[in-house]
Amino acid sequence: MVPAEDIHSALQKIPWFSTLTPEHFKKTAELAHLRYAKAGETFFREGDKQDYVYIVLEGRVSLDIFVPHHGKMHFYTAEPYDVFGWSSVTPGMHQRIAGAVAVLDSTVACIDAEGLRQFAENDHDFGYLLMRRLANIVASQLMVTRLQLIDMFAGPTETMND
Amino acid sequence: MTTTLINTSAHSAGYTDKLLLPHWAEIVKIIPEIDGVTTFQLKFTDPEVENRYRFEPGQFNMLYVPGYGEAAISMSSDLETAHGLLVHTIRHIGNVTRGTSRLKVGDVVGIRGPFGTSWPLDAIEGLDVVIACGGIGLPPLRGAIYRIIRNREKYGKVTLLYGARTPKDLMYPTEYETWQKAGIDMQVTVDRGDETWTGRVGVVPMWFYHFRVDPHKTAVLTCGPEIMMRFVIYEALARRIPSDHIYISLERNMKCGQGACGHCQQGPFFICKDGPVFPFSVLENIFNVEEY
Amino acid sequence: MTDKSLTIGSTVALPKPELDLLMADLRKNGFQTVGPHLQDESIVYTKIDGLKDLPRGILSEQNPGSYRMIQTGKDRYFDFIPGGQSWKQFLFPPRHTLFTAVKDGKWLLKENDEPTPRYALIGVRACELAAIHIQDRVFLREDFSDPIYRLRREGLFILAVNCLDPDATCFCVSMGTGPRLAAGFDLCVTELDEVFLVEVGSELGRSLLADRTYDLPSAFVQNTANQALERAAESMVRTMDTSDLPGLLTGQLEAERWTEVGKRCLSCANCTLVCPTCFCWDATDQVDILGKSTRRERVWDSCFNPHYSYVVGGNTRPNIRSRYRQWLTHKLGAWKGQFDVLGCVGCGRCITWCPAGIDLTEEVAAIRAEVKA
Repeated sequence: MVPAEDIHSALQKIPWFSTLTPEHFKKTAELAHLRYAKAGETFFREGDKQDYVYIVLEGRVSLDIFVPHHGKMHFYTAEPYDVFGWSSVTPGMHQRIAGAVAVLDSTVACIDAEGLRQFAENDHDFGYLLMRRLANIVASQLMVTRLQLIDMFAGPTETMND
Repeated sequence: MTTTLINTSAHSAGYTDKLLLPHWAEIVKIIPEIDGVTTFQLKFTDPEVENRYRFEPGQFNMLYVPGYGEAAISMSSDLETAHGLLVHTIRHIGNVTRGTSRLKVGDVVGIRGPFGTSWPLDAIEGLDVVIACGGIGLPPLRGAIYRIIRNREKYGKVTLLYGARTPKDLMYPTEYETWQKAGIDMQVTVDRGDETWTGRVGVVPMWFYHFRVDPHKTAVLTCGPEIMMRFVIYEALARRIPSDHIYISLERNMKCGQGACGHCQQGPFFICKDGPVFPFSVLENIFNVEEY
Repeated sequence: MTDKSLTIGSTVALPKPELDLLMADLRKNGFQTVGPHLQDESIVYTKIDGLKDLPRGILSEQNPGSYRMIQTGKDRYFDFIPGGQSWKQFLFPPRHTLFTAVKDGKWLLKENDEPTPRYALIGVRACELAAIHIQDRVFLREDFSDPIYRLRREGLFILAVNCLDPDATCFCVSMGTGPRLAAGFDLCVTELDEVFLVEVGSELGRSLLADRTYDLPSAFVQNTANQALERAAESMVRTMDTSDLPGLLTGQLEAERWTEVGKRCLSCANCTLVCPTCFCWDATDQVDILGKSTRRERVWDSCFNPHYSYVVGGNTRPNIRSRYRQWLTHKLGAWKGQFDVLGCVGCGRCITWCPAGIDLTEEVAAIRAEVKA
């Protein structure tokens, strides 16, 4: 585990955290720790329980889904300040639907998801801020996913409807 | 801001007093690129034409393959880097371009041009430049990249965002390191990664989420599938980059290249003559009208 | 009586048989005389020698989707309103070989070196002359001048004719192009029962007319002609309000009406073929079976052609709705910004020759009504 001061200064660099009240920030930071991952290290696999939500500080983490006959399909990479593994914070998701692997040496902030959910339940002011941020994260990733789905580089003989 | 236009007969191939008559150019080198894409290096057979021919990055030639017809192909380099040769990267997907896939070194094609407006490299001096392109939208910008590199001190931060479908669809991968070393911050993205890919997986527009731009001193040059450009523009406008600092290269069915045959019109514009490079501000009203 | 002091602007009374001699003179001077001719149950523009080839005693009756002719039995030659052809076929030929290329080791190019024909157009109406002037702006620009058009246009002789009996589809008054001719012709004819009143419009016209036998028209004759011309303008029934064009159409790209007319339009391209100002063209290669020689041809094209806006990856106007919208918003909209005039002269051909009977004056009015609602 890393000393608390390191966590604090790491989280301060993330724009959303610097908008929290000192009280909210302190309680969130208590739920967080830093992880230094080497390229190739796994954060979670499909089917895992969702224990953390992750924020990349340095490096790159790739998300993938295993498709029979196609192998692991990498559909997204999380860059510095990207959040991944956010399904642990959304109500209603019960397990990981994708895997997460570091493709470069990475520094990642990991926040205890259960703790975050409890905090949000007990303090609706914080809960609102968390959910608002989550909505933005999901919206932007949805935009990216939709563009990937449209397959904009497909040639004229291959389209979504073929 | 205006785009520079070089379109006088003094600098061109093709005749101004004859309709559609090309000058011949010989293929001196053929470079296979990604699947279905080839780069042709061409040299005019008439030295007089070769001596006077000038173009600016962003412009295009009408390439004539006898027996097939003509196709509008952007310049994929600039004259200095190519030592006077014409460089055209072609995707073999239409009738004429499939005809080009049968050509060999020594074969001859017809050239008319240069046509159209060019990337406004003079007008954007002093600004940060974001070049956002995808797929074979990179070739029409490569000449601009070379020009910027050659005059690097005239520009602020220069970022090249490039995306393709998969890692094997990336164009000109051997040049990325040179560009990076020359002061271009290159961010490459693919729609789908594979086991060996350690780069980004995602789409070009999402870069805007990660990096701050100063809307007062940033220009955007974009070229690629129209939907990619639409989202790049959307993200750029959302960050308050003025629409006359966003430049886009449009593609339409071009037959004459001279604003005469009517095919390439969109709204009041002949894409071949008033474009293909436009500041987005002049297209704002018509760009998103479906099927216009 | 022959008065040798003819000038530009002079008007004479020419006995009708003198027109034959005038046309023969034109041919002696190297012109091909072309004009209206009754053929295929319609009026076409083709080679004519004289009065005997003109549609004698023919009156026309037009409605959306209909062109009919009525025999009047009179010795009059220009009572009809022109049919589905326009004079653009002579300046902007429907097919024209640009060059041939032959492969003999390398490709050898051979330009089309056929001599340019000199045409004398016999019977050009005011709307048609206005259309020629519009096409002059399209084909003869500073940055691009079409050599085929230019050479034909330079050698052109125009014998214009005033319309005295507009049909129901005519709306040249609304478009400010007629029915009366003002300038731009070599000779201008107003037909009376007994004679042609001929006004001189150019030096060439004057010199040809000077060799003919004619009279000075009496005041009575002049008056009859003027009254006929005024009646012609007043009798026009169809109108188009142009006061809010081009903005009305270019600003209403999402009007409901486009969807509605898109259901009726067949995308047959008739309107663009008969329209005297439409100018789109394509270039094709006619290649021999061995691929060793090819002929490059310029041909008419139409924005209604489904392949017109094909780009790699799809078609930017795959629906009839979008193609009809393109045609009309160009003709009565974008055209103004491109060429400084609207693209329509009010000849009404597109209304007459549309198999679905689509009337652009009605479409414009409908879109205007949609805006007001």
